[in-house]
Amino acid sequence: MPGIGVPPVEANLPPIVRRNYGKWVSHAVPRPGVLKHVSESGEACFTVRVGMPSNARVSTALARRICDLATRFSEGYLRMTRRHSLELVGVDPARIEELIEELRALGLPVGGADRSFHNVVCCTGWIHCQFAATDAPAIAKAISDALWEGFQQEGYPAKLKVSVAACVNQCGEGSTADIGVIGIHRDLPRVNDEEVAKCEIPLILFICPTGAIKPKPPKSVQVDPKRCIHCVACVGQCVGMPIGSPETDGVAIYVGGKAGNQGGGPAFGKLVIPYLPNRPPRWPEVVQAVRRIVDLWVREARRDERIGDWISRIGWERFFQKTGLPFSEKHLDGYVLWPMSARTGVRFHW
Amino acid sequence: MYEESLSRRQTQWGFGGYVSLPGVAAGFAIRASARPEIAKGANFVRVLPPAGNFYSAAMLGKVCDIADRYAYGLLHLHSTGGNIEILGIPTEQLLEVVSALNAQGLDVGSTGDAYRNTVECVGPARCDAALIDTLGIRDAWFRRFLDDVQFPRFPHKLKVKISGCPNDCTRAVQKSCIALIGVFRDAPKINGEQLAVWVGEGGDIAHVASMCPPRAMEWDGGRLTIDAEACTHCMYCINKCPAIRPGDDRGVAVLVGSKLRGKYGPLLGRVLVPFVPLTPPAYTELFDLLHRIDEVFDEHARRKERLGDFLFRIGIDEFSRLVGVEPSPHQMAEPRSNVFFHWAAGGPVGGEKEV
Repeated sequence: MPGIGVPPVEANLPPIVRRNYGKWVSHAVPRPGVLKHVSESGEACFTVRVGMPSNARVSTALARRICDLATRFSEGYLRMTRRHSLELVGVDPARIEELIEELRALGLPVGGADRSFHNVVCCTGWIHCQFAATDAPAIAKAISDALWEGFQQEGYPAKLKVSVAACVNQCGEGSTADIGVIGIHRDLPRVNDEEVAKCEIPLILFICPTGAIKPKPPKSVQVDPKRCIHCVACVGQCVGMPIGSPETDGVAIYVGGKAGNQGGGPAFGKLVIPYLPNRPPRWPEVVQAVRRIVDLWVREARRDERIGDWISRIGWERFFQKTGLPFSEKHLDGYVLWPMSARTGVRFHW
Repeated sequence: MYEESLSRRQTQWGFGGYVSLPGVAAGFAIRASARPEIAKGANFVRVLPPAGNFYSAAMLGKVCDIADRYAYGLLHLHSTGGNIEILGIPTEQLLEVVSALNAQGLDVGSTGDAYRNTVECVGPARCDAALIDTLGIRDAWFRRFLDDVQFPRFPHKLKVKISGCPNDCTRAVQKSCIALIGVFRDAPKINGEQLAVWVGEGGDIAHVASMCPPRAMEWDGGRLTIDAEACTHCMYCINKCPAIRPGDDRGVAVLVGSKLRGKYGPLLGRVLVPFVPLTPPAYTELFDLLHRIDEVFDEHARRKERLGDFLFRIGIDEFSRLVGVEPSPHQMAEPRSNVFFHWAAGGPVGGEKEV
């Protein structure tokens, strides 16, 4: 039963890491997807970074094969990164080629380091989620296929991170990445009076951020379509308020998010496309839009400029002009925080 | 189910949520099916991973054994919250799975209105930029806060992420209620000899100097200088050039209130304390601060209000006062421009502000 806590730190660290813990002095990327870290003792540690299947969802069969490779190539240890990549740490440099071949045989690509397209982070989507307005793993796969060359080589001005979240809860953290695809609902929660009666109605009323939900006597609620912002807060609290419809669900695309403090510092992505329909299994409009933005960025950005920093330099008006993406009323923020994105000065890029 | 979702363009899963079972308050999520004729519900269990998400192949193999024996044999490595999720466990076997995981030295938790699993970067284990021992801090954090990870008691979830430096690889500033980010206060160190070698090998130091965000670097073609007063310690030059290394006066910055949804949508973390010195192995000063933050959150936030939304409602002044933080210019991008104050809140005018 609970209470035993997490395993001791040392228990799962590769021997080369244990020997050089806290002693690393420099790093390099000798070839795409391969990192070299050098310790103050002079010892070099080679890491092979591997893209995982969408959502890092793996069968135990594949996980066991990966374990087997770790046993043979990296002293029996492996690591998962924050971006759902697999890292084999401490690989003998003479055997990297052999390892990459074996990974390829499993269908796992090596790449996604430094100035390249990094592994896509996405949530579980339709595989296993009630909220999902779109299928994040399928979109992640389609985008990864389209930007495949960028994953395997280092030709971008800076790193490119793409995240796909299937709904506004953003387990797939779409707002945080250079390009974020976020699933959106546009219909209202469907109120089932009988089921709602079993739920905690005061909590449903309180959790609605815009006060769109009002009590409906004797024991149900009603949703004001003018106030509803489709945030699914109520959907998570009550079994009687499902949302979503194949005809109205879709995705929005946000651009320019990053966490690092370089350039303009941390920022969330900003809306560039408010709605694209769900077109499984390959979402061609989404892939095309992402390509269009990436191609322009690669052509125009200076070295070390992430997408957000590039747009800050050229200005959003020029971004829309150059990409040809239409600007609409939906790009203007109508929520309480709207003054943060509205312009005050008159220093325009004409 | 997945094929049906793709062909019908809609998820086929029904209502779900976190559940507590006798003896295990956190760690389970249940999910109903909207298409019971294809699949009944699918529960999953959240496993607290080893530090830095490093695994021995032997340990991951044991997790696979459990997933094969009790569930679909499908793993999520990992969720964006950094947990392993084992999908498809029948409800009546959930407790048995926890026992099986315990036998392998693994524990469950990180669901519901509790402290969630920390996410930490690889840190000193394999990074030359790491300023702090992220894995050690995480280990000590679990020793102190494990109960709050496994017994939900807060108004809403609380997430902690630990980044070793301002590169913030864990996205702590965007995604965690409490972000711990390693910082240094002195100037970056330049190794002149190494720099000459790096430049000789084709390193473009002129470009790095020109892209320095606060323009603190000067390169005259032979000598590099960094204006220590202008430097904002953003790590850009350190990332790009191996001859420039971070300084030695290191600690951790504590930011609060970031999140991606909640009432007001995405909010970035705000600096609460710009520098906390680190005192291993217990990190008492840092964790006392965290505990004061969670107590204030527990005491004053409304139900289902994320820390960021709570902060938005009461203001950073009131929050700093409640937590007991000395105000600092480092907290603000700039001082306020409005002229409306809570003069009565604990100040000389008297009277306590109602929260």
